[in-house]
Amino acid sequence: MRYNLMLAWHGLKRFPRSTVLAVVTVAMGLAATMTTLALLHQLTADPLPGRSSHLYLAWVDTVRAKPTQNQSLNGITVDQRHRIKLRDAEELLHDHRATWQAPMASVFTQFKSDGDKPRKGSDYLLATTSEFLPMLGVSLRSGRSWTPAEDQAHAPVVVIDSEMAVSLYGTTDVLGREFHLGHGVFRIIGVSAPFAPQPHFYDLASFTFGNLRRDQAFVPLRSLLDAGVDLAGDDGCDVDSPKPKTLFTSDPMYCASVSYWVDLPDRAKASDFLAYLQRYLDNQQALVGAGHARPAQLTRVDAWLSQQNVVPDNVRLNAWLAGSFLLLCMANVAGLLAARFLRRSAEIGIRRALGAPQRAIFQQHVFEAAMICLLGGFLALPLTLFGLWTLRLQDSGFTDLATLDPAMFGALFALAFAVGIITGWLPAWRASRIEPGLQVKSA
Amino acid sequence: MQFAPILSALRRHRLATALIAFEIALACAVLCNACFLIVQQLRALHVESGVAESSLAVINLGCDDCKGADLNARVTTALRAVPGVQSVAVVNAAPFAQPTGYAGISLDREHFIAVPHFYAGGPGAAETLGLQLMAGRAFQADDFQTAESWLPQNTSVWVTRAFAQRLWPGQDPLGKEFWSDKYHFRVIGVLAHLTPPDPGGGHGDSAGEWSVFAPMLPGDSLHGVYVLRASAIDLPRVLREARVAAQRAAPEAVLDLQQSRTLPELRADFFRQTRVMVGTLAGVIVALLLVTALGIVGLASFWVQQRRKQIGIRRAMGATRGDILHYFQTENFLIVSAGIAIGIVMTFALNLLLMKFYEVPRLPVYYLLAGAVVLWALGQLSVLAPAMRAANVPPVVATRSV
Repeated sequence: MRYNLMLAWHGLKRFPRSTVLAVVTVAMGLAATMTTLALLHQLTADPLPGRSSHLYLAWVDTVRAKPTQNQSLNGITVDQRHRIKLRDAEELLHDHRATWQAPMASVFTQFKSDGDKPRKGSDYLLATTSEFLPMLGVSLRSGRSWTPAEDQAHAPVVVIDSEMAVSLYGTTDVLGREFHLGHGVFRIIGVSAPFAPQPHFYDLASFTFGNLRRDQAFVPLRSLLDAGVDLAGDDGCDVDSPKPKTLFTSDPMYCASVSYWVDLPDRAKASDFLAYLQRYLDNQQALVGAGHARPAQLTRVDAWLSQQNVVPDNVRLNAWLAGSFLLLCMANVAGLLAARFLRRSAEIGIRRALGAPQRAIFQQHVFEAAMICLLGGFLALPLTLFGLWTLRLQDSGFTDLATLDPAMFGALFALAFAVGIITGWLPAWRASRIEPGLQVKSA
Repeated sequence: MQFAPILSALRRHRLATALIAFEIALACAVLCNACFLIVQQLRALHVESGVAESSLAVINLGCDDCKGADLNARVTTALRAVPGVQSVAVVNAAPFAQPTGYAGISLDREHFIAVPHFYAGGPGAAETLGLQLMAGRAFQADDFQTAESWLPQNTSVWVTRAFAQRLWPGQDPLGKEFWSDKYHFRVIGVLAHLTPPDPGGGHGDSAGEWSVFAPMLPGDSLHGVYVLRASAIDLPRVLREARVAAQRAAPEAVLDLQQSRTLPELRADFFRQTRVMVGTLAGVIVALLLVTALGIVGLASFWVQQRRKQIGIRRAMGATRGDILHYFQTENFLIVSAGIAIGIVMTFALNLLLMKFYEVPRLPVYYLLAGAVVLWALGQLSVLAPAMRAANVPPVVATRSV
């Protein structure tokens, strides 16, 4: 085997021009594929490793209204409904059947700091309840989160993240200071580390990917509503809901406007919880006597993300394009190798005549192909890094995630090796089938 | 030119020939489909906005507790005072800016049939935007009414020609009516063009140029977005000063810097991703052609070297240089043709796949013809250098052993 490796190495050096050609070709194919795969890998990564496997989105359809149908036009699919009414959320919170649970909604709103010359800003913040921070594992730099009792009391408290603290107050030492939201004054009780899971899975309606956009502060839901800030959107309102102030606001008690996420340790607990949700829904139906309700749903993070199709279409399309480009490069290199191997027919014939088995010939040539592709892999590494760098330059919301992590670094060489074996297989097989007698004679 | 000797020579190199043919086939499939995608994207890039883009800018103010009328009065006065501003109007949205007015409509108050974008504009908005009316009449003072929420209950509107065709194919749209919930609309004018703020985005491919332009008095449900017109050369400076002026006139409001831009900037921003896509596809095509050409050059050079002796013999027997040159050219033509034949099948298979997953229309046949011509030309071009080298092999080679 070592001998075969050595022969393969010599083979490489014998036709340097065509070797360089093959290496460059393979490198281009590998780099294109790895660039797109690395981005795809980042976009499909687990948003919260270790936690997302037991986080579920709970949904009960209690909105008493005809399903709105104007969404189904122009070829858009319907049934993206996933939010529930605050009224139901409070009932579920009160029952407290899951380990952790919290209703939530990302809200884009204006805010300002304290002082005579307050600094203003407008960005996303998350309206939720006390269990959100422990459930999603938001880490606190200082201070504390709020308690269920403070939720109950509609306490005007807020947890802001360190970057927002710096941009609004110039320091992260902001505990106890005032934070103005709507017409309310909130007291800062905690400073968190910036929390930006990719994608923003718990409220995709607001935004999906991006390091720049994130929920910059966490506010108790009821206190935020008390301060007159409206939740962003809804999935339908009761027919008898009070008339909204303006067209774009809705009353969360009557409109499905919060996502309700729960933490359930295992599948058995999850099916118990689903049964509980369905019972809750059945009781509601008895109460209001409205028709056409859909069954309760409990969707885990991974299922939720694939259902919502969060990965941009053109990222997938590019991966396919790059894949077919790699295939083309492989066909090209295989053609080159076939020509080069068969040119050596005479030598192969002599080796065979001297007693080398077909297997040895095959091995030698597959090694040669694998070497070319591994060299291509080395060359592809800087090319891939360059490709990812150009991707990061395009600011299209998600491309700032284009980086090569160790797993993909390993995958690059695994792919290079696999490509080498596959590419070399056919030409090497053909070379190993050469008839020794005929070749020796003609040489 | 005789095919028989070429074919018998190729039969001796079945594997390499087959691989190159396969490569050509793959190149054909990717080339045709990528070109098709590029053309689709370019068409989207050149969408006509229907407004006087090059001389327009948008100012977008967010203010949760402002009184609409008061804010409008302060800001429009301030903006009009900016030197170089020709006119200012209050609108709800502008092409390539944030969409705010998608709503489903019905012709019979019962069945929804389409989701157009509703533009709303105060007095002078149509003139400021530079909308081109094809038929019907301009708005008069009594067309502008106040609205409690969204739009006035009864509004006389303009619709785009494309949308009128969708609603009333082959009929005169003037005087026709439609509803959205309890709001009633009557068509009094037809616009040549007016793209929704996000053409092709989010509301389905079929929703092309589906826009409605409604007049209304600025107030509580129409405030915060201002469009201003200035000469194209002045526009960047005017926008800079307008941003400052607007912020000074309404210190309690937050100026949205992302949205407060000139229309050319907003357009470039909106299509950034499309341009990246076109760039990527073009890059793939260039790389693909390059690799294919290199493959052909590599293989042809190899064969020329391998056949030096045979070429020498042919030359010694009286074959001209032209004969040798033509031999390699014909050989290449045969391989490429075989590749294209397989490629046709693969191209359509790939197109079907794309149609299934990515809302791509069917590939027109002339793309295949163009692809075939390009590949034939590429093949001939890449084989030229090795073939010339072959033609230069002197007859004396035949007399040497190996």
